[in-house]
Amino acid sequence: MHEERFSAISAAVTTGEEEDALHLVTAALEDGLPPLAILEEGLVKGILTAGELWDKNEYFLPDVVLAASAFKRAMPVLEASLKEAGTERHTETCVIGVVQGDMHDLGKNLVCDMLSSVGFDIIDLGINVPPETFVEAIEEHQPAILGLGCYMTTTMMRIGQLLQDLDRRGLRDQVKIMVGGVPTSQAFADEVGADAWGKDGMDAVRKARALIGG
Amino acid sequence: MANQTLETLHGVLYGNGLRIGTLSGSARTFAMLLGRRSDVIPFMGPQIHDHAMTVAGVPAYKYYFDAELLVDVQIAVERWYGFDTYTIIPDAYNFEVEALGAKMIYSDFAMPTVDRNQPLIQGPDDLARLRPLDPSKGRIPMGVEAARLISERASGPFAMGFFCSPFSFLIQASDYTTVIRALKKDKAFAQDLFDFAENQAIFPYLQAQAEAGVKQSAGADAWAAFPHLTPDLAQEWVIPSAERLAARAKKELGLTAMAGLAACDYCEENPEKFDKDLMYRCWDIGRQTFMIDVAVSAMGRTQDWTMQWLQDYAKEHGRFGRKLPVFASLNARFMRDSSPQTIVEKIREWIDVLGRDGRVLFFIGNVPADTPPINVHTAVHAVHTLGRYPIADDLSSVEIDPPDFKPFDDWLVHQPEAETIYEGREPGPRPKVFSA
Repeated sequence: MHEERFSAISAAVTTGEEEDALHLVTAALEDGLPPLAILEEGLVKGILTAGELWDKNEYFLPDVVLAASAFKRAMPVLEASLKEAGTERHTETCVIGVVQGDMHDLGKNLVCDMLSSVGFDIIDLGINVPPETFVEAIEEHQPAILGLGCYMTTTMMRIGQLLQDLDRRGLRDQVKIMVGGVPTSQAFADEVGADAWGKDGMDAVRKARALIGG
Repeated sequence: MANQTLETLHGVLYGNGLRIGTLSGSARTFAMLLGRRSDVIPFMGPQIHDHAMTVAGVPAYKYYFDAELLVDVQIAVERWYGFDTYTIIPDAYNFEVEALGAKMIYSDFAMPTVDRNQPLIQGPDDLARLRPLDPSKGRIPMGVEAARLISERASGPFAMGFFCSPFSFLIQASDYTTVIRALKKDKAFAQDLFDFAENQAIFPYLQAQAEAGVKQSAGADAWAAFPHLTPDLAQEWVIPSAERLAARAKKELGLTAMAGLAACDYCEENPEKFDKDLMYRCWDIGRQTFMIDVAVSAMGRTQDWTMQWLQDYAKEHGRFGRKLPVFASLNARFMRDSSPQTIVEKIREWIDVLGRDGRVLFFIGNVPADTPPINVHTAVHAVHTLGRYPIADDLSSVEIDPPDFKPFDDWLVHQPEAETIYEGREPGPRPKVFSA
């Protein structure tokens, strides 16, 4: 019986039906279904299915973004219940932001949603983030991963400077660093000394999990 | 500027067998596009604004606000590299949205960019509130002047004005998720969005360009590239929108407007997911956005493509025994990250596949700011050497020496753009918008 409800939630997420996802999760909670199961068997399964379809060339960015949007729409109501039930998932923290001078956020938002769906605690610093804000966030949150996005070839050059700054401050070895964004590449990641390059949202999830040994 | 009509005619005649005279870069390009082949494979000027700014050493706060400086820098840098045609374009995606009042972020080192924390259009109410674009606002006057200067000073098939195509404009004015949601789930709102983009935002800008004497304008649409947009969505929304805009511009302004450029440009990043059928569908869409029927690669991860697929497509869709002209684009990151030798080998491989029967043009799918100039010089030199007709039977036996070029500043001394660039390097006041 519950499996059908979870499947419906999962399908609503996979197909990007935001309001359906919200209503189904709300109804499931009202009917006393366990929040963690709603999350794992419903929402997370739905977003991971969208990721699998992406990998198989059956889904494209519009489909994945709407799936992530549906996940995000239903998640707040579930988070409250997870807290109440004392069953919060938490693996590792990831601080993420788009470097200073750069305002493009589609890729960053997608990576945030995808990482959140697999259990990362996301500290989203947003866009146009000054170097000192990254430094402060590392010191405050002690993240396992720092994600840096850039989408212009001019702002890309700021990433190398930021990593050097972190090195000077003795922070570089405290955190794994992932980079991503249209102009970046594995060669660029190697050049600036990042630990990983995420070529897209799904790849970022795989690499992030690998970085924390997951 | 050379006589464009004569260059075009020379190219067409040469390309179709009357091989007399020395081709200019522009004529060489027309020979490839409209004939069978030219003397050598042309290398078209790529989108290069960030890189040109970096090479010329001018600050962003002047370069992106001064039409003369922007155009002169790009003309000079493109000529320094020896491209056969000019492509001169600023941050074309920002002008309309900026003039409509979007909050922008300005910086000393990068082009203006939209503050995505505060989108202009979040829903139907915002659409009703917005007024038509006022061509005296923002950098529209600078954009119009740049378009006029490009038309006047540059030559070749790509010397034209610029605008942001409707779909990309909507992403700039709203956000990707909102627009995609409308396209897939709220078609009435989506139609209102496109109507606003075409008629209230872009058309007034085209009108201002036409009034300044601009005859052609190109509308970049990188947000409509695949997989940001699927072939089905592009066919349903982007192509009809481009056709409507082109028809209105032609009828009311006498201006040729090419919208939707880069729609469905195949930009899949993962080589394991490269799919021949999908590529074919994407190329089908791309062909509908150009004035000339061409098979285009542009911003994608082309270094890992099977180029035979593009060649097969061009042959299958050609007419009168000729394949479609092919735009063979070297990937931006490949150009930035590779050694000159790697670039030469890639060009050797592509010319072997694409070049033997003519109808191929090389370019670069945007040149990143910090691309080593030797990489670009090497690419142009290699294409012009390996791509000389008749193509060598054994291309692997053709040696490519390092390119011979002067450092930019040494070369610049006696160029007509020198004074503008020297002046552009001098520190100056930030534009007023920096403190707004």
